[in-house]
Amino acid sequence: MASIVLTNVDKIYAGGVKAVNGLNLEIRDGEFMVLVGPSGCGKSTALRMIAGLEDISGGEISIGEKVVNHLPPKDRDIAMVFQNYALYPHMTVEENLAFGLKLRKMPKPEIQKRVGEAAKMLGLETYLKRKPAALSGGQRQRVAMGRAIVREPQAFLMDEPLSNLDAKLRVSMRASLNTLHERLGVTTVYVTHDQVEAMTLGDRVCVLRDGILQQVDTPQNLFDKPVNLFVAGFMGSPAMNFVTAELVRGDGGAAVTFADIKLSIPDSTFTDKPGLDQYVGKKIILGIRPSDFEDAGSAGNHANGWATLPVKVEVTEELGSEINVLFLIDAPPVEHKDTVAAADSGEDEEASLPLVGDKSLWTARVNARSHARSGQNLDLVVDTHNLHFFDSASGLAIGHEANR
Amino acid sequence: MLFNRYRRGLFITSFLAAPVILYLVYVISPYVQAFYIAMTDWRGVSATPNFIGLENFQRLLGDSVFWKAVTHNIALLVLLPVITIVIALFFAFLLNVGGRQGVSGIPGSGFYRVVFFFPQVLAVTIVAVLFQQVFRPDGSGMLNGPLMGLGLNPVGFLSDPDVAFWSVLGVLVWQAVGFYVVLFSAGLASIPKDMFEAAQIDGANRITLFFRVTLPLLWDTVQVAWVYLGILAMDVFAIVWVMTDQQGGPDWSTTVMAAEIYRNAFEYFRFGYASALGVVMFFFTVGFAVLSLRLSRRERIEY
Repeated sequence: MASIVLTNVDKIYAGGVKAVNGLNLEIRDGEFMVLVGPSGCGKSTALRMIAGLEDISGGEISIGEKVVNHLPPKDRDIAMVFQNYALYPHMTVEENLAFGLKLRKMPKPEIQKRVGEAAKMLGLETYLKRKPAALSGGQRQRVAMGRAIVREPQAFLMDEPLSNLDAKLRVSMRASLNTLHERLGVTTVYVTHDQVEAMTLGDRVCVLRDGILQQVDTPQNLFDKPVNLFVAGFMGSPAMNFVTAELVRGDGGAAVTFADIKLSIPDSTFTDKPGLDQYVGKKIILGIRPSDFEDAGSAGNHANGWATLPVKVEVTEELGSEINVLFLIDAPPVEHKDTVAAADSGEDEEASLPLVGDKSLWTARVNARSHARSGQNLDLVVDTHNLHFFDSASGLAIGHEANR
Repeated sequence: MLFNRYRRGLFITSFLAAPVILYLVYVISPYVQAFYIAMTDWRGVSATPNFIGLENFQRLLGDSVFWKAVTHNIALLVLLPVITIVIALFFAFLLNVGGRQGVSGIPGSGFYRVVFFFPQVLAVTIVAVLFQQVFRPDGSGMLNGPLMGLGLNPVGFLSDPDVAFWSVLGVLVWQAVGFYVVLFSAGLASIPKDMFEAAQIDGANRITLFFRVTLPLLWDTVQVAWVYLGILAMDVFAIVWVMTDQQGGPDWSTTVMAAEIYRNAFEYFRFGYASALGVVMFFFTVGFAVLSLRLSRRERIEY
C-alpha cells in the first residue's frame, strides 16, 4: 500500500489540447479517492497517467515515494479495473485471475491460494471454470475486480467500473465495493462521472473540470461548502437552485432579495463567511439546496426561524420517501458559465422546459408527508443557515476558506 | 395472399436466375466436361474424342514429373502459410500493438503499412519479371551483385535446381505478406484496446503480450489466412511459369500442378491427359478445403 502524489501534472495531447492542467493531488495511504467531473474533464486521463497507459506531458507522479513517470505500467505495482472489464475472452475465470500472477512468476501454490481467496471473497467459486462470455455483467465485473485483488498491489485504479451495470446492480456493487475497500484497505483511485457514486464511495472526492482541479474534500464538505458555482451545481441531486439576488441590510438585519422574495439572513452567516458583508448592496448569486426546503405544513418545530417562501407547485416528483417539488421563481435563470457547465454534464440531464420562459425552475425536496400536488399553492420554509453565496463575476463561493 | 407470395417468389427468382445460369454455364459445366474429357484421348483435333476410361489416370500414376509437381505443391502448402503468417503476424503486431507507449504501433508504422502492402498491388507477371532481374546470376543481379562484390561465388537462384524452389517460395511469401499484414491489422483493430492495456498492467512484456493475448484473440483470423494461403499454394502458376527457367525448371525443380496441366494442354496438346491432371488437382484442393474447415471449427471468441 502506498500514497499517490501528483505534482503539477499536465497532459497535453497533440494539437495542444490540455486534458489535465497542473493537477496537484495527494492520495493518502489506504484512502478511497474519487475523481469526478463531467465527461471530458480529464479524470480518466489523470487515472491513465497514474497507471502508465498515457505518458505524462509535465509534472511528476509518485507512488509510494517513488517517482514513476518513466516506469511502464507493469513496474508500477498497481492494478486497474476497466469500464468494459477487459477480461481475456479466451481464458477461463480462473486463468483470468491467475494471469497477472503467472506473468510475475509466482509459485503455483501461492497463485492457487490467492485465486481461491479472491474467488471466495467475491462469490465466484462456482464460475472459475467458465469463460467470460458465459457470465453476466455483474459476474464479469466481479472477475475484473478479482483480477485486481489477487495481485495485492499498492493501489487500485478503477475507471468507471460500475457504469456498464444496470441501476439496481450498480447500487449493490457500490455497497460491496465499499466493504471491499474497508476490508482490504488498499489505496484506491476511482473515476466516475456519477456524483452519487462519488458521494457514497469516496473518503475524499476530487472534482475536476476541463482538466483543472476544482475542489478536493470529503463528500460532506463538498456538499456543504462547495468552493464555487461549478462544484455547487455538480454535486448533489437534484442540483442546487441558483438565482441572482441582492444582498441588503435593513432594520431587521441582513437579507437577500430576488424576484419579490426577501429571505433574511441569520447573523451567524456573516461570521461563518467572512467577506460577505462587503457584498451588501451588491448583486450575488444565491444558491439553495433542494434539501434545505421543507413544506411549512409538515416541517414541525425544527423549522422555527426559517424563512417562508410561498410558491405555486408546477410539477411534483414523488419518490416514495420524499417528494421533489418543482416550482417557478420569477427571476431569470442564472446564466453563469459554471452553472451551465455543471448542468449539462450529469447523465440525468434535466431538459430545461421551454415553457418556463424567463423564469427559473427550482426544485425543493420535501417530506413525503407533504401533500403537495401540481397546481397547488404551497408554503415552503427555507433553512437560511445553509444558504450559499457566490460572487456573480468569478463564481467563487463567498467566504469559503479556499477563496479568502 | 397466395398471389403475393407467388409474386415475391418470382421477384427473387428473377434476380437469382442470371447469376445462377452464368455460374452453371461457365463454372459447373466446364467442370463436368473436364471429368468427361479426362476419360478420353482428345488432343483438340478430332470432333469425337475416343473414350478410353481411366487410362489417363493410370498413366498419371507413373508420371514422375507430375508427382514432382505434386510434392512441390504440398511443400508450398505447408511452408507458404507458415512463413507468411508468421511474418505477417509479426509485422501486424509491431504496426498496431508493439509500440513503446501504450497500445500503439512502432514509430513510422503508417509508412511501413504502405510499404508492406505495395507488392500486393503489382501484377503477378510484373513481380515475376522483376524477380527474374533480382535473381540474375551475374553481377548485375540485385542479390548476386553484392555477393560477388564481397568476393563470394554467385548463387544460381533460378539456375541451381537445389535453390530454385526456395527462390519461388521467397517470391510468393514476399508478395503475399502485405495482404495478410492488412488482414491481421484489421483483426487487431477489432480487439478492444483495453484488453492490451489490462495485459500490460498485469505485467505482460511484448513477447507475452503477443503469445498470451494477441495470438489467441486473433486465432480466427489466422485460420482464415491459413485457408486462403493454402488455396494460393495449391494453384500457384504465374510466378513459376513466367519467372523460372524453362517454365518450372531447371530440371522440373520448381514445377507445380497448374504448370504441368498447362504444359500438357497447350504445349503437348494432350487435352485428355491434362484434364485428368486437372481432376486430380480438383480433388486435392477440395480435400484441403474440407480438411481445413473441419479442423478449424472451434468455439468463437466473444468480447
